[in-house]
Amino acid sequence: MVLKILNDWFKGSNKFERLWLLAKIEFKLRYYENKLGLLWALLKPLLDIIIYYIAFKVILKNDIPAFASFLFIGLIIWNFFLESTTGTIQILSVKKYLYEYSNMNKLEIYVSTLLSNSIGFFFNFVMFLLFYNIFEKASTGLSFYNVWIIAVFVNLFVLSLGMSLILSTLYILAKDINQIWTVFTSFLFFLSPIFYKLSTFKSALPHFDYANPIAGIIINARRIMMEQSPPDFRLLIFDYGYAIVLLTIGLIFLNKLGSRAAEKL
Amino acid sequence: MENVIAITAKDISKTFHISEDSHNTVKHRLFNLFNPPTRKDVQALKLTSLEIHKGECIGLIGRNGSGKTTLTKVLAGVYPTDTGYVKINGSTMLMNLGVGMSHELTARENIYVSGSVLGLKIKEVDQLFDEIVEFAEIQDFVDTKVKFFSSGMMARLAFSIAVKAGADIMFLDEIFSVGDMKFQEKAVKVFEGSWIQGRTVILVSHGMGVIEKYCNRSVFMKNGQIEFFGDTGKAIEYYTMDNQ
Repeated sequence: MVLKILNDWFKGSNKFERLWLLAKIEFKLRYYENKLGLLWALLKPLLDIIIYYIAFKVILKNDIPAFASFLFIGLIIWNFFLESTTGTIQILSVKKYLYEYSNMNKLEIYVSTLLSNSIGFFFNFVMFLLFYNIFEKASTGLSFYNVWIIAVFVNLFVLSLGMSLILSTLYILAKDINQIWTVFTSFLFFLSPIFYKLSTFKSALPHFDYANPIAGIIINARRIMMEQSPPDFRLLIFDYGYAIVLLTIGLIFLNKLGSRAAEKL
Repeated sequence: MENVIAITAKDISKTFHISEDSHNTVKHRLFNLFNPPTRKDVQALKLTSLEIHKGECIGLIGRNGSGKTTLTKVLAGVYPTDTGYVKINGSTMLMNLGVGMSHELTARENIYVSGSVLGLKIKEVDQLFDEIVEFAEIQDFVDTKVKFFSSGMMARLAFSIAVKAGADIMFLDEIFSVGDMKFQEKAVKVFEGSWIQGRTVILVSHGMGVIEKYCNRSVFMKNGQIEFFGDTGKAIEYYTMDNQ
């Protein structure tokens, strides 16, 4: 029954095609417009890694093994979250042309933009895999646990979508949500275990791996990809909880506030 | 066929709240917590109900500021209604001079995006693509960003997409003022062809000739109120009277 409905939905309507089309165009707009093109998408995390590597390994001399890869996976997850939230605050204003003249479902605009970010994430993730397995001396290689990354990424996607919905609909009411969120994310960046050793992070900020959903996602991604171990299931369930709650709030906001976007923005 | 309903609007109304100073930041809201902004209410659409059948061509006439655009936007589902509900059966497309296209995209991309939003599959857009470009007379600018288009080119492209791709329910707001005489002739011909058949069209125009020719029923609006909904001839009479 459910399968049949899903099948009809995929075949009978152009929804999925449309999402993919919008995502592709969004991706192209972002990366092919400037001369460096796609290279820039790949270069940015590398440059970030170099900066933090110099700061935390060369200068502060921490003892985290495979530190470059450790940073790599943390940063691409963080960047996806940042691009999908800060980058979409004004989405209802930028993509007004899509819903201003038709009764298109606004949720599709969000999903397609996040899909476009996912394409970027995918490229970065492939780079991480190559880097970790070829260049990283302390690499532990591939393992079956790596497959869990899909569950972690879906978690990240839903969380970012929920947050994006909430922020961009609040933007209709308060334009300076942009500045507030920028400050909040820089705070969150330093409260996430992106370049700290996990044990230091946990002892300095107890329970914060549970309080901060991004922290849990990064911790689990590292367990799966670098430590040859399954995800911390308690943490995973916790973070799915966050994601689902935020998505629900986001959808309510979209219904209540987002429906007025055409006249308010 | 006559009895299939395309749009049901029950007890709809729309009031715009216009505040004089902009309280649209958190800072502003906090600082002016006890000093609420002076608000002006503009009732753009007074309580009304109507039903539009599938395949009908409805004229929508009234003087400037009578609420025509607000009514089309509410019926198209772009604006939420304050009271009652609007039930729309199918995809809608609203077309006026500043149509829904992204200035950052090329004509080609805009055709695909709009076509897709209107419910077409990519393959169907592939088939229509040449027709759209030809009808819009922009063969040499297919891969040019729309922001470099002249307003005439832009409007022609939008009109072509609307005509060739078309939503189930089309709201056409003053579209006959688009393009030169030759293009206008082409545009009017569309209404005489097979295109119009089976489609629901709401036609907003100040050109009574067009309304009289293509619409069986018409809505006459005055001051946000639907004064008359029925026979086109009679609606035009009201409109002419109002203009005197």
